[in-house]
Amino acid sequence: MDVLAGLIQTAFLAGGVLALAALGEVLAERVGVVNLGVEGLMALGAVTAIATVLAVPIPALGFAAALAVGLVVGMAFALATVVVRANQVLCGLALTLIGTGLAATIGKAYSGMPAPATFRPIHIPVLSDLPFLGRALFSHNVLVYLIFFILPVILHGLMFRTRHGLNMRAVGENPAAADAAGINVMAFRFWYTAIGAAMAAGSGAYLTLAFVPSWSEGVVAGRGWIAVALVIFAGFRPINAAGAALLFGFITALGFVGQARNWPIAASILSMLPYLGTITLIIVPVVAVQRMRRLMAAPAALSVPFFRDMR
Amino acid sequence: MNLHLQRLPSARPGMAFGARVAALVLALLTAAAVLAAAGFAPLDLAAQVLRSTFGSRFGLEDLGLLLTPLIYTGLAVAVGLRIGAWNIGAEGQFNIGAFCAAGVALFVPGPVWLLLPLMMVAGAMGGALWILVPTLARAYADVSELITTLLLNFVALLLVYFVATGPWLDPSGHALATTARLPVAVPEFWGIVHWGFPVAVALALLLAVVFAFSRWGYEVRISGSNPGAARYAGIPVTRHLIGVMLLSGALAGLGGMMEVAGTVGRLQGGISNNYGYLGIMVAVLARAAPLGVLASALLMAVILNGGIILQTQGLTTNTVLAVTGLILLFSAIGDELAHYRVIRRQEKG
Repeated sequence: MDVLAGLIQTAFLAGGVLALAALGEVLAERVGVVNLGVEGLMALGAVTAIATVLAVPIPALGFAAALAVGLVVGMAFALATVVVRANQVLCGLALTLIGTGLAATIGKAYSGMPAPATFRPIHIPVLSDLPFLGRALFSHNVLVYLIFFILPVILHGLMFRTRHGLNMRAVGENPAAADAAGINVMAFRFWYTAIGAAMAAGSGAYLTLAFVPSWSEGVVAGRGWIAVALVIFAGFRPINAAGAALLFGFITALGFVGQARNWPIAASILSMLPYLGTITLIIVPVVAVQRMRRLMAAPAALSVPFFRDMR
Repeated sequence: MNLHLQRLPSARPGMAFGARVAALVLALLTAAAVLAAAGFAPLDLAAQVLRSTFGSRFGLEDLGLLLTPLIYTGLAVAVGLRIGAWNIGAEGQFNIGAFCAAGVALFVPGPVWLLLPLMMVAGAMGGALWILVPTLARAYADVSELITTLLLNFVALLLVYFVATGPWLDPSGHALATTARLPVAVPEFWGIVHWGFPVAVALALLLAVVFAFSRWGYEVRISGSNPGAARYAGIPVTRHLIGVMLLSGALAGLGGMMEVAGTVGRLQGGISNNYGYLGIMVAVLARAAPLGVLASALLMAVILNGGIILQTQGLTTNTVLAVTGLILLFSAIGDELAHYRVIRRQEKG
């Protein structure tokens, strides 16, 4: 039982990185912008956070700094993809390269240094002391509660229960109709792309302030891409995205347990699990269940730039 | 008189080329400005890069070694783009190609004239196999090949790392984290530049001819630009898609074979050295034209060589990734802006 509780605890901790980035990507993709720069944004956020806490040892400040950097970079990305309407795939790949390269360059000075201040698990009276559940559910840092329990619910409510959310989805499904109805397509796309980018950078900060917690080149290790893949698997829905991230956290946690218990499998083979798992999960459901294709379909105007005069 | 912007459905070739050049210049200027702000002397660095690359025969030979894998991965991505498939997994296919070729070289006894072709086939087949699942998923279930090919990169890197540090580790005990030196090597062609280079150039020429003049090349292009119309015209779009994507993987795998058996000589972790990702840049800059790949691979090789100079100045090789990313970003923006033209409209009344 203790092993299982520990596994679930680690699953939340490891899944948090993916969940925050995936939630940000849900926002961008729902308004029709595919941001393939998540990997680069996470690297930038991770290095920003570590540089900040090394200067001022307050983790919240490091996290906020990463969000700010992500927002600014996301606005630049949105300028290119939404305002200029350049190819989203190319701009996203470019952002990944720029972010990874820049973060490696800046981070060289911080490589291997442990974060002097991290987000620590909070002890909640009574709840944290419950058997099993205490360890599995109520011994987390503040970001885990925010990412898994508060943010997905808020985003779900926003997207599916408000007029604003209806407009948002309209922009992603049929921007021409949304535009005709008086919705400012460009503003929706610009700001949700930028906010999504800020969340991606925030998940990078989570990596260096709560999960690893130190900076090294390659610390992001493809998590940005897994987050992008999770959004597809989650059918572009925030609560599903958080659930999918938790599932992946669980796969990662299994790999950790395997290493700690000296399972006769090489560490590099165990490290393949999240990537192989992701591929399986985005291919198998659509192959197995025909109905999934419609249910989980991407927004119709995803990655299609909107030109008002070309309706 | 009144100036207006008008967006054309497709960019005029002159404008597109001009935008490319402008994007390149702007990207390099931005990188220079950032380096200058960080306390480096960008002009000195650039001069140093050019001198060390073109100033000596050694520099040119090194350039040839960097250029070779970039042509293979660039061609791999370019071929995919012809039919509208994004092979972001050239990095992984390159690794698997190297892995399969090294496996043949290490464990199959035989004469060199037999082993080399066998290794080429193994490398190409390995690369093609590595893209098989993403290909089928794209062809029959419409799963984006972008994500699936990319995720397999990490698996391939881990696999190569695993065999090079574990089961295939050099038994002599001298080397850490690499296999023994392969008993078979691609022969040298010019200095240290091996035959992988002329083979790559020949493949580019061959592909250019095939895409320009063959029925297959024509059908592939139509399938890429308008699948619906292609199907209506009786073109087997799905079959072409599968064929093209497997060819793309095979090209990247062959590049990996040439790298391990020509340049490096051993299989080791990170043998792909980002060539797969840079291949995306090469293909995009070349607008997916095989002959253009030769030119843009040369450009990328010079920039990559510059990265080695930067490393001696205390920067990491990954700084180069940021520079290439800037070029890609500005090129994408330039491509879009090249669609516009300014028109003067006489005000009425």
